[in-house]
Amino acid sequence: MKTSTVQNTTIYGAELSRRGFLKTGGALVVGFAVLKSDAAEAATTGNTMDAAMPESWVEIHADNTVLIRTGKTDFGQSAVYTSYRQIVADELNVPFESITTVVVGDTDRTPDGGGTFDLLGRGVINLRKAAAYTRQGILELAAQKLGVAKEQLATSAGVVSGGGKRITYGELVKGQNLKLTIPLTGELTSMFGLVVDGNPPLKPASSYTVVGKSFKNSIIPSKVTAKETWVTDVKLPNMLHGRVVHPATLGSKLVAAGELDKKKYPTAQVVVKGNLLSVVSPNEWEAVQASRQVAAVTKWSDWKGLPGSTNLYSYLRQDADWKSTTVSRSAKSAGDTAKALAVAPKKHTATYEMPYMKHAPIGPTMATADYKADGTVTVHTHNQNPSALRGQIALMLGTPESKVIVRQYSGPGHYGRSNGGNAGAEDEAVILSKELGRPVRVQWMRPDDMQWSTQSSAGYSDVKIGLDANGKISAYEVDHYMPAMQDDRPIGAVLAGLPTMDAPSPGGARLANTVNGNSDNWVYDGVLNLEERAHGTYQVGQRESPIAVGLRDHSMRTPGQYQQNFPREVAISEAAALAGADPIQFRLDHTKDARVKNILQRLKTEAAWDTRPSPHQKASATGTTPVRGRGVSVMFRTGSYWACACQIAVVSATGAITVEKVTMVVDPGIVVNPLQLKRQVEGGSMMGISQALYEEVAFDQSGITTKDWLTYPILKMSEIPEIKVVMIHNPEVGTYGQGSEAANALAAPAIAAAFFDATGKAARKLPLKPAYVKDLLKA
Amino acid sequence: MATITVNGKKREYQGSPDTPLLYVLRNELDVTSPQFGCGLAQCGACSVLLDGKEIRSCITAVSAAAGKEVTTLEGLPERWAKQKNLPPAEAAKTLHPVQEAWIEEQTPLCGFCQSGMMIKATELLEKTPSPTVPEIKAAFTTSGASAHLCRCGSYFAIVEAVQYASRLMAKGGAK
Repeated sequence: MKTSTVQNTTIYGAELSRRGFLKTGGALVVGFAVLKSDAAEAATTGNTMDAAMPESWVEIHADNTVLIRTGKTDFGQSAVYTSYRQIVADELNVPFESITTVVVGDTDRTPDGGGTFDLLGRGVINLRKAAAYTRQGILELAAQKLGVAKEQLATSAGVVSGGGKRITYGELVKGQNLKLTIPLTGELTSMFGLVVDGNPPLKPASSYTVVGKSFKNSIIPSKVTAKETWVTDVKLPNMLHGRVVHPATLGSKLVAAGELDKKKYPTAQVVVKGNLLSVVSPNEWEAVQASRQVAAVTKWSDWKGLPGSTNLYSYLRQDADWKSTTVSRSAKSAGDTAKALAVAPKKHTATYEMPYMKHAPIGPTMATADYKADGTVTVHTHNQNPSALRGQIALMLGTPESKVIVRQYSGPGHYGRSNGGNAGAEDEAVILSKELGRPVRVQWMRPDDMQWSTQSSAGYSDVKIGLDANGKISAYEVDHYMPAMQDDRPIGAVLAGLPTMDAPSPGGARLANTVNGNSDNWVYDGVLNLEERAHGTYQVGQRESPIAVGLRDHSMRTPGQYQQNFPREVAISEAAALAGADPIQFRLDHTKDARVKNILQRLKTEAAWDTRPSPHQKASATGTTPVRGRGVSVMFRTGSYWACACQIAVVSATGAITVEKVTMVVDPGIVVNPLQLKRQVEGGSMMGISQALYEEVAFDQSGITTKDWLTYPILKMSEIPEIKVVMIHNPEVGTYGQGSEAANALAAPAIAAAFFDATGKAARKLPLKPAYVKDLLKA
Repeated sequence: MATITVNGKKREYQGSPDTPLLYVLRNELDVTSPQFGCGLAQCGACSVLLDGKEIRSCITAVSAAAGKEVTTLEGLPERWAKQKNLPPAEAAKTLHPVQEAWIEEQTPLCGFCQSGMMIKATELLEKTPSPTVPEIKAAFTTSGASAHLCRCGSYFAIVEAVQYASRLMAKGGAK
């Protein structure tokens, strides 16, 4: 490479430089350098493990292909392989197919970090802006090359033209080593990662040509032809298989590790680090058997510090400490609910209860770690936030982040569990690899995943609704109660007594505190007196457990909002019944928001809604023949408006509920990829029905007793309803909204409302299992 | 020692005969499509065909597969090519209609359960070429050791893909 005079050109705060000319190839690489905070600077120095790999968002190559990189990963949302390419293709003005490579998640190969959530909001904006900067860089290069003023040039399908001349992007970068440096803020290994700064001109939605089309997901062919390297497939030379023998209870300390039967398991080995007890072997089946043998003869201290799931709600109401944590009042709270409630001629007062639920990935968590003698470690994992995991591993080892690489692979989705950086086995694999000086693959067994992972927080809400003489809501008051939802401490590090971030506490840092926010965006702006309060507390058993474990919680699809939307939407449906109004019309009568009105009107049509008050005239709480009902729910989440109608059948004698038909209306603003969005909504709806009908973590005083798919059943194929997904493309909004997770939350309140419609009995607790349903109907 | 036929090739395993087939396939024979989901025959992520019948490799000892034919996702294209007597050149670039359908219908979300789902679909379609929706649901729910579970909720997409595969098979494949 011959070095030439460096030309620097500034474009909207980005800097274009020519670092030299090349004989072959050539590329425009979008990287970063302008860093505004010390943390970001530290992050940068830590991100250059492999100097050969440019830390770039976008690369345009001489052959007209484009490569993109993102710290976000894929958990089945498909966004990084579909929507991200579409959004970049439109912003760059290149064909979708020219983006041939998408690099995701690897901390040494991707630039920005951040968690895999809000994928089309905070998630994609970095790439979109990087692409917008790049297009400006391309225009600058073309202006120089063609001798035509930038203002006279236009880009389309990877070609710049103007002044009677044209040139492809590839020809512009051919033979050159170009770099576009863009401004950044943020912290790489924080939950939210780095953020591209500045305001390059973005294309208006009205001129999109790639966004809005149903492109296929480019990762699917390798997954269905057995060519994908899954995280479970990573094999390293000299690797050991590890199994963790988790403590007997969520508060047990190790008294005496069991003796390994060396005659039976000659190549296995026991490793003890604090309360972290593991068995490793070069042979996986030997590791499984030996770990069971060791577990059977290991002594743990006993602990009985949990209330037990049968006492959960009385414990939460009477015994949990809600006083130490600041109460959050929602921004929309206004008026005087106490006064309005005092004079309301009709009132609805009720409590709603939501259980602990498991993320329950279809494959238990696993990871492989390779700790080298020089103190560097590589973790092979399936993680929603590889950069945050990198930070956690560095913290645990007391080493600079530059020593830690996290590599990301396809794996079983776990719906939010690792958005703060760990799913369960990563740190254990690192600890074992460091102890043994060999690569170690730690695979949790099914009971480990059910009993030792984090879970979605339980909660309850007290709702008071006042109706005026016209049957309109004069006051809505709610108090939401939920233990801390985001415990990102790696469990292996906790057990081993190694450094971790703090457990949630009232004064803790942003992602380690007990504050419960108001997560369910209020949509009934016709209500004048509104009071929404959210109360937080420690995780159940966290302080009582001698090992600071207890019931650890972590965000799961629609975190917090799930727990707040179920009470609201069921209560609104019950208030509609009290007012003698149809539940959709009642909602329409209490909102001024045009998008809320629109989804509700559309739902009426698409679901062939039978407009009338609940319960149904033929509602019955007895009998052996099915009675039917329909219910509705509404949610506004991360830019998307959702409305759902469920039709169910209830057999009173058995308590069995069948969901027969689901209609889901979503207005996300811009629909980026209709086919992928439809599949996401279908999937989320099925998971939501599963949560509504079956899912509940059972626990006794010592620990979680749901341990497999028999004790934690989920929806089966025979139980799926008819489903209709209606997508409202609303480009003038200018934002992309979100896909599947809100779909999860809508089913439960619509099913509970349908149950009331069918039987005349209010269902205010999840899940709607037959035993609970029978009790409700008898009451 | 056990000799098993995996995707048309005779393979030998020297280790303990009680080792579950899943660990032998994944760790010794480099056949990695069956996934560890529960180890309890409760989910179907590890499903393979044993002499054409869908079984759970996580609880099946390798000795129980001795002398039998194991087919995994890797072996589906060849299984189809054999059934259709495709010439080698064509066989090499042919996917099983079930795989074609899974791509066409964009069925997988995370996809971790889908190897087992495609094995179940293949078993079903070999016996029942034009299944009704209730037959499809029954196959994936009650016909095996347990229901085939998908946590992402792709069941509806699976039903559509099985129907698509059925149509493809009826006309002799994708091409």
